[in-house]
Amino acid sequence: MRKKVMITLFVLLALGIGGIVYVFNLKYADSKEEAADFTVNATTFINEFATENTLANKKYTEKIVAVSGRVSSTEQADTTVNIKIEDSLTGNYIIFAFQNQYLKEAKQINEGDSVIVKGSCSGGIYSEILESASVSFKRCTLMEKFK
Amino acid sequence: MKKTAFLFVLSLVTCFAFAQKKLVTTSATISFDATTAIDALPKATNKTVIASLDTKTGDIAFEAAIKNFAFSNPKIQEHFNGEGWMNSDKFTTATFKGKITDLTKVNFKKNGSYSVPVSGTLMIHGESNPVTSTATIVVNGKKISTSSNFSIALEDYKVKGGAIGAGKVAKNPTITVQADFN
Repeated sequence: MRKKVMITLFVLLALGIGGIVYVFNLKYADSKEEAADFTVNATTFINEFATENTLANKKYTEKIVAVSGRVSSTEQADTTVNIKIEDSLTGNYIIFAFQNQYLKEAKQINEGDSVIVKGSCSGGIYSEILESASVSFKRCTLMEKFK
Repeated sequence: MKKTAFLFVLSLVTCFAFAQKKLVTTSATISFDATTAIDALPKATNKTVIASLDTKTGDIAFEAAIKNFAFSNPKIQEHFNGEGWMNSDKFTTATFKGKITDLTKVNFKKNGSYSVPVSGTLMIHGESNPVTSTATIVVNGKKISTSSNFSIALEDYKVKGGAIGAGKVAKNPTITVQADFN
């Protein structure tokens, strides 16, 4: 009986340690390999957030989204580069921060390039500084680039 | 006479426009490090922070979308955004509004590195507290870079959770802010 209890405790302890090690070593998947939950056009996407912010946040936040559009500008972000697609009429914009292994891709993108960028959507916010809406992305990768 | 008045008004408007130089970037970065001796995972960076600096008044502002803090570990990111920690569905942004309290410490027209006092209000998790720190401003031609390091007490922002009590998340994480204005 005592031996059985000891074995059960040992198994539970091993499972617990295994679970902790597993959680500590979890990593995000390579964005290039992840399937997109949504494929959208940048202008339509920005308008969706501008008109139905709550619904759009619920639909897209923490989802993998592939966005096609023309790059309005590239911006230095510390040692890396972000890509921005802006609606020139409203000032509303989408901004993409790249996944660590794809930082070099961002530096090869230029203003005016037509691109498809895929990444994890972090949702939209309204900026009091800019008085416009923005949708931000993390862990992005370049899927296609057209001149 | 009318022409003189028009030129006078035009020159006033022009002077005002040049004096009020508000610089803006949408790619400032904020990193926080809440790692402890028993957990090296609670640290993240947000690279899409909106920041502004008015070189005339010294006003500084930051806005960061909480959900765009990128972690290496998906589970920690989920905890960070969850109701027990940042509750980012409800409190979507962190903001700072403040100013350089002594503008004589910096010359935006002369290249160099300047250490300036900054104070303002930091709002995280829906809670606002006064913050005072020192920022470094580097002027290099038309490019102005600003950076600052400081720490906050999570308790002041009502950020609680079992992991903090258990020593897995630092009670006083370090915040690093960097903004480049071109």
